[in-house]
Amino acid sequence: MDELLTDDGAARPAAAALMGLIDQLGTTTLVERQQVAELDILTMGITFTVYSDGQNIDRAWPFDIVPRVIPGSEWDRTSAGLAQRLRALNMFIDDLYNDQRVIADGVFPGGMLEESVNFRPQCRGIRPKHGVWAHISGTDLVRDDDGVLYVLEDNLRVPSGVSYVLENRAVAKRAFGELFARQQIRPVDGYTDELKRLLISLAPDGVTDPQLVVLTPGIYNSAYFEHSFLAQRMGAELVEGADLVVGDDDCVYMRTITGLERVHVIYRRIDDLFLDPEAFRPDSMLGVPGLMRAWKAGNVGMANAPGAGVADDKVVYAWVPDLIRYYLGEEPLIPNVPTYRTMYEDERRFVIDNIGDLVVKPANESGGYGIVIGNRATADQLAEAVAAIEADPRNWVAQPILSLSTVPTLVPDGEGSHTLAPRHVDLRPFVLTGESSYVTPGGLTRVALPEGSLVVNSSQGGGSKDTWVVDGIFEPTPAQERFEQRQQQEHADQWQAQRQQGNGA
Amino acid sequence: MALLARVADRLYWAARYLERAEDTARIIRAYHDLVVDFPGDVVLRWEPLVAISGNVVAVEYDPDDYSGERTVLQFLIADRRNAGSIASCVGSARENLRTTREVIPREAWHTVNGLSHYVGSNAATAVGRQTRDRFLARVIDESRRLDGVIDSTMTRHHSYRLFRLGRLIERADMTTRVLGVRAAALLQLDAAGDDPLSDEVQWMGVLRSLSALQMYQRATKAPIEGEAVVRFLLFDASFPRSVQCCLDEIRSIVVTLPSPQDVLAALDRADSVVGEARPIASDGHALDDAMDQVQLAITELDRAVHARWVSSST
Repeated sequence: MDELLTDDGAARPAAAALMGLIDQLGTTTLVERQQVAELDILTMGITFTVYSDGQNIDRAWPFDIVPRVIPGSEWDRTSAGLAQRLRALNMFIDDLYNDQRVIADGVFPGGMLEESVNFRPQCRGIRPKHGVWAHISGTDLVRDDDGVLYVLEDNLRVPSGVSYVLENRAVAKRAFGELFARQQIRPVDGYTDELKRLLISLAPDGVTDPQLVVLTPGIYNSAYFEHSFLAQRMGAELVEGADLVVGDDDCVYMRTITGLERVHVIYRRIDDLFLDPEAFRPDSMLGVPGLMRAWKAGNVGMANAPGAGVADDKVVYAWVPDLIRYYLGEEPLIPNVPTYRTMYEDERRFVIDNIGDLVVKPANESGGYGIVIGNRATADQLAEAVAAIEADPRNWVAQPILSLSTVPTLVPDGEGSHTLAPRHVDLRPFVLTGESSYVTPGGLTRVALPEGSLVVNSSQGGGSKDTWVVDGIFEPTPAQERFEQRQQQEHADQWQAQRQQGNGA
Repeated sequence: MALLARVADRLYWAARYLERAEDTARIIRAYHDLVVDFPGDVVLRWEPLVAISGNVVAVEYDPDDYSGERTVLQFLIADRRNAGSIASCVGSARENLRTTREVIPREAWHTVNGLSHYVGSNAATAVGRQTRDRFLARVIDESRRLDGVIDSTMTRHHSYRLFRLGRLIERADMTTRVLGVRAAALLQLDAAGDDPLSDEVQWMGVLRSLSALQMYQRATKAPIEGEAVVRFLLFDASFPRSVQCCLDEIRSIVVTLPSPQDVLAALDRADSVVGEARPIASDGHALDDAMDQVQLAITELDRAVHARWVSSST
């Protein structure tokens, strides 16, 4: 199904103003606005880093001008469901590292923990503030043909993309200024301030004016743009591992031109295993020796807490609806995609027998790597997948092939021009959990650009769209309407004049 | 507000790279003016400019490129293998500011990013005479615009001061290099015999390449004359590109930074080296030697700044 259009091609109510404007502008003007948006992205330096041919390249962020539109009423339910899900997941993580009630009560199989690559025994017995471990999460949602939004996966470690939610909005506001004037589109800019508030709440007790830092693996990381963006927006220092040092007092300091200065809260964007060579991988050059000591001693706040990833494993995913019922006594507001766990004999048989109709995913990969889509894979690829499942059943899950919903997207028409065509999308809202919860209105809409493709990852050629949560549409006053028409006419005249000049030169 | 030593290092170098790009553009423009003023039968070669970027690499000349113009300008404007070329300097400045965006104003980043995209797509064609001047003017303008943005929107904090320090140290250094190039040209012309162009016109070129002509004229009542030009560019305490004025401004910044004793000592030495310089404007060797001395003192100053504030091992 399409997010903006009904089956007979009419605009859905929340998208009516947008589609009306697009019709009125025509493709030529739309393409022109797309080009202006791309130029904005270039001059604003909105980039992402790709690793290719042994080099890290700073590339312009791919953006499609046609936004995804979500009605406010639908978003309110989704948003409540996300907050609910993260509350339960955090209680689950806190329980695993402490009392393990969930295992004792037989809700979650204890054997899973021993095999989990994301369970950190070093974190046993720690009780972070607010009982929260996954402070920042990016939950992937997809809409199937049945019109239902499903949670596809939870990203609880170092989810990225939120900077592009804010930057896409800045670009979209310039591209479609008239629509922002005419409808109530929920603003997304508040995110960084909410994040700052959350990070401040993690400061050690008694610290009134905490020093916040964003810890990045460095300028070659694919999400470096975002690390820098968040530091800018929060007024935090952007630090690399080598900028930090843990003193004999188990406090964290940063190296400044005036000597060492105390750090109180770290928003870390480095994976657990690289955080602290004393506690985890001894060969890590990115981390800070002693960081875990400082955190355990309560001398520094850290988001997300080390070990939070234990709950975003794709096998654990299958238990989340049960966890919500167990910890909150509530029914999940957003459903899971039905998930087969190949660790169980009967579910494994089903997966192997029906592999051509399923998506098979490794439990602990992100970025879309290692996924086998049954109806698109070759016989050899399917045989390889079966062998991999049989070799390590704990490491795989399978799900029905969802047909992701689409949004009209500006694509080349093959004749040197562009046309609007449906392209598949997913949605990654960002959820902040601390004393209270905050969910971004909308989130990052990623779009698979090749026709029929379902791969939305920007590292694999995906694009992005702004996401509008629309509450109300206002009829323009006659004065507004006249003004806009005049502006569009003037603009069209100028464009025409420029083109004529261009031809003459 | 704290300033990370690593960030200080990047800001300092971003500023130095931008100043170098701007000054290189300025020097190329002025030298071009001088070259076209020469009578047709005298060839003023472009090689001396290679020394500006502190490079002594062997540049390979195309035999058809009789004055070395294309080869030298390719090297100074577009060659990415030359760390001192305009393209490299702007690229390095962008990279250093891209990785310190959290401390610089957003508009400053937009300016250097825009300049970098412009240079990236135009440097190769700017080697030719047709588009060169517009290109060089744009580099100079954008670099000044960046200074304007920083000056009008950046908090007066250590980060601002490190950026200013980078600008000023590079500026002082480039002023000595311009005089060094003039010295080299003198030697070249001495070897060739009679000087076909009046001394006055050539010194005017030197002043132009530092945007100093008008201010020199206002400061000096006499006609343009080599000794006076050199004195003006070294000692005039009120002209912002003179070596002494740069050093004074550096001092006013250094005293506001933490524990500046070692840097002040280096600054004192630089002051006395400049004060004792007795360059003879008409003698290429003497001028060249004097400039070498001043450059060494500036290099020592740069080392002191590094050791005190920007080495990450604080």
